[in-house]
Amino acid sequence: MIRNRAGLAAVLMAAFVLAAPASAQRAAPLPWQEDPFPSRYQAPPPDDMLLRGATILDGAGGRIDGGDVLIRGGKIAAVGKGLANPGVREVDAAGRWVTPGVIDVHSHDGTFVLPLTSIDREASDVSEVASPNSADTWIETAVNAQDMAFDRALSNGVTTIQILPGSTPIFAGHSVVVKPVRAPTVWGMKAAGGVQGFKMACGENPKSWGADDDNEGPTSRQGVVSYMRQQFLNARRYKRAVEQARAGAGAMPPRDLKLEALAGILSGDIRVNVHCYRAGDIAAVLTIAREFGFRVGAIHHATEAYKIPGLLREAGTCAAVWADWWGFKLEAQDAVRAEAPLLERAGVCVMMHSDSPADGQRLNIAAAKAAAAGRRIGINTPPETMIKWTTSNPAKLLGLDKRIGTIAPGYQADVVLWSGDPFSVYSRADLVLIDGTVVWDRAHPHSEPVSDFELGRGGVEP
Amino acid sequence: MKMFVSAIALAIAAPASAQSLAIVHAEAWTMEGDTPVHDATILVDDSRILSVKAGGAVPAGVRTIDAQGKPVTPGLVNGATQIGLVEISGSNDTVDTTSRDERNPGDDVSRALNGNSTLVSLARADGITRALVYPSPSRHAPFSGEPAFARLRDGVDILDVANVGVYAVIGGGAWERLGSRAVQWSALRNALEEARRGMDDGDAGRKGKKGHGDGPPGGGRRAGAELIRGVLAGEVPLAIQTHRESDIRQAVALAEDFGIRVIVVGGAQAWRAADALAKAKVAVVLDPLVNLPFNFDQLGARQDNAALLVKAGVRVAVGQAGGAIHANYNAGMGLREGAGIAVANGLPYIEALRAVTVNPLAIWGRGGGALTPGADADLVVWDGDPLEPSTNAVSVIVEGREASTRSRQDLLAERYKDAR
Repeated sequence: MIRNRAGLAAVLMAAFVLAAPASAQRAAPLPWQEDPFPSRYQAPPPDDMLLRGATILDGAGGRIDGGDVLIRGGKIAAVGKGLANPGVREVDAAGRWVTPGVIDVHSHDGTFVLPLTSIDREASDVSEVASPNSADTWIETAVNAQDMAFDRALSNGVTTIQILPGSTPIFAGHSVVVKPVRAPTVWGMKAAGGVQGFKMACGENPKSWGADDDNEGPTSRQGVVSYMRQQFLNARRYKRAVEQARAGAGAMPPRDLKLEALAGILSGDIRVNVHCYRAGDIAAVLTIAREFGFRVGAIHHATEAYKIPGLLREAGTCAAVWADWWGFKLEAQDAVRAEAPLLERAGVCVMMHSDSPADGQRLNIAAAKAAAAGRRIGINTPPETMIKWTTSNPAKLLGLDKRIGTIAPGYQADVVLWSGDPFSVYSRADLVLIDGTVVWDRAHPHSEPVSDFELGRGGVEP
Repeated sequence: MKMFVSAIALAIAAPASAQSLAIVHAEAWTMEGDTPVHDATILVDDSRILSVKAGGAVPAGVRTIDAQGKPVTPGLVNGATQIGLVEISGSNDTVDTTSRDERNPGDDVSRALNGNSTLVSLARADGITRALVYPSPSRHAPFSGEPAFARLRDGVDILDVANVGVYAVIGGGAWERLGSRAVQWSALRNALEEARRGMDDGDAGRKGKKGHGDGPPGGGRRAGAELIRGVLAGEVPLAIQTHRESDIRQAVALAEDFGIRVIVVGGAQAWRAADALAKAKVAVVLDPLVNLPFNFDQLGARQDNAALLVKAGVRVAVGQAGGAIHANYNAGMGLREGAGIAVANGLPYIEALRAVTVNPLAIWGRGGGALTPGADADLVVWDGDPLEPSTNAVSVIVEGREASTRSRQDLLAERYKDAR
């Protein structure tokens, strides 16, 4: 698959160079490689600093006790012991901990906006449900940047959030990755440079929607799986037609935004996140991915992934999991708190996720619960491993692992200075940096970001 | 044959006081003072605490648990949850939270409690031994029904005491039966007035009676309208689940006008009325985790709510911790995490422990919950700080007996531990 694509790209490149003006350096991207809603995020001027004498969990599995982190020009400049200060602000971090900023790969912030009101109940922006195939939708076109959930996340050390559409449609649409900073629109928050994400769903949510007489869509698990395959078959045909037309063989088919998105999944340009609970559902989805030659980025919720770690490991698919959501519906009966340590030990790329503006503020605490449950069955997970579940592993899923999720020279300085052990319920985010800029400083709570929504409302201000 | 012999040996070895138990080398948080008793020996006889003494001796033949210097606390108490009434919240046939009877404000949840629920065994494994279980809004607004105390002993029967209060819900949101909150408050006041008239007519029956031990075990008091008279008679509190400052001040006024005990449950904006609540001795059962308003009533929800209230002199318990999912599915872990977050936001540690032990029992009119001689032997041995989610409960003792701390989750995790 990958080799074919590379070969085709070479052909296209050659064709383009011959036909295009000399100034053009690259072939035009295929339709599914384009971002119709580009980011307008600009990092503010950086605050250079040296964090001195902290316990550093670098996010990639390393730990330095009494270590220093030098941050310059928005990047990590150096990590180690006894670093020389080149003349920047020095922060005494003795007794405190430093980690990469927390990354939450499953959020509905900006679309499941609290407080909920009638309009959200009648016509929610969490997902477009006119059809079980909403592949053409881009969730960012719904995100309300004034959701105060972004502020709460930020002041609790979250620096990157993937907003996914909900799990009612089978093909729910494109995700967006944002920094939880104050901006008038989502595009002022949008993090560029990763792999475009996409959401799919299996199991109870799509089938129960379809089972309602008023709605379109399959009514059973087997119907959902079959629907996926048929749509991918259609997309494969469409993708071939587009590629052939680009290569000069045949007419370009009319643009179809749904097929385009699915073609992007088949080509590997768009990375799928699939909401599934039961082991059988997960296995079916991984089998479909194999049939159509793409890799699923992550199974989300994945409450029974611990029963089939080998299937995920061999597919190169991560699991984005909770510590302790369980039981609320039938397919969530078998969720266990020890899932993350079980998957970690089995060699699966695992990460914590929230699906909730409340729990998204405490993903490290979720990791602590998971590790404690692991201890009950004899699995001990050290802090330097646990931190991967909220930093470098989610960065991999987002295709941002060369930029964020790790504290190492050259990485963007998305960094949190915690008042103590980041897995303790008592620890607070003292300093939060995004791109090397202080965006939250607990010592100056009046600098706390306040959304337009909260401004000037009685009952809010002390 | 060998098994037989050991069974006999065990029977002979067991002393007369078969339920005697000792916990040694405990950091015992008795809840009597602000600090723990170090290297404590806790003696339990039958279902009562016998003594808590630093370095105390253990009588021969008594089963002994070595706490290894780790914390031992009273069994934690959830101040508001619905465990025992819910199995799969998404499947109505497993949910017993709600009355649909339009004729009666009553819903005595005690008759629906299910100790076999997987939610109960997990909460117990997380160190909860008692829980206030409340009903959801009924069709007889603003009443929900009568909450009960559950005691999370092993087995199906987890009823501790039924009809410990009257539970009502007032506020905005999806509230179709009565409309405006003005009408909801009127309905509540009218019900109280009507009950008072009934008592004045001489059929009050139980007016003035104190205590909760009377009647058959598990509660003989009648629910519904008659329990509203119990509120007026000072026997039980009236719990009002409400959040907005204006409603909290209405609740305070109601308590003062009728001279009754009122509990505010929820109370997202309670911090704004802290002094008024303290003055009227209105207690608050709250979720310290909330810092996002689910609806407009909860604007201004903040995690230092508990700290601000306690500072003003309001008695606070933790309940409904963690919102929709965790309040029931993690009635133990959510409670502990909530108390921990309250500490992280300024609540003194000992006050947080009180908010999950003695306070909920006091607020709901039960009392007890401390590790003192003669007290109920509900206690937990932890492998660390009980308010840290990274801590596990090692032993959970309910009514003097070591209860199971293995949940269905533990069994599943063990079954698939070696899956690769």
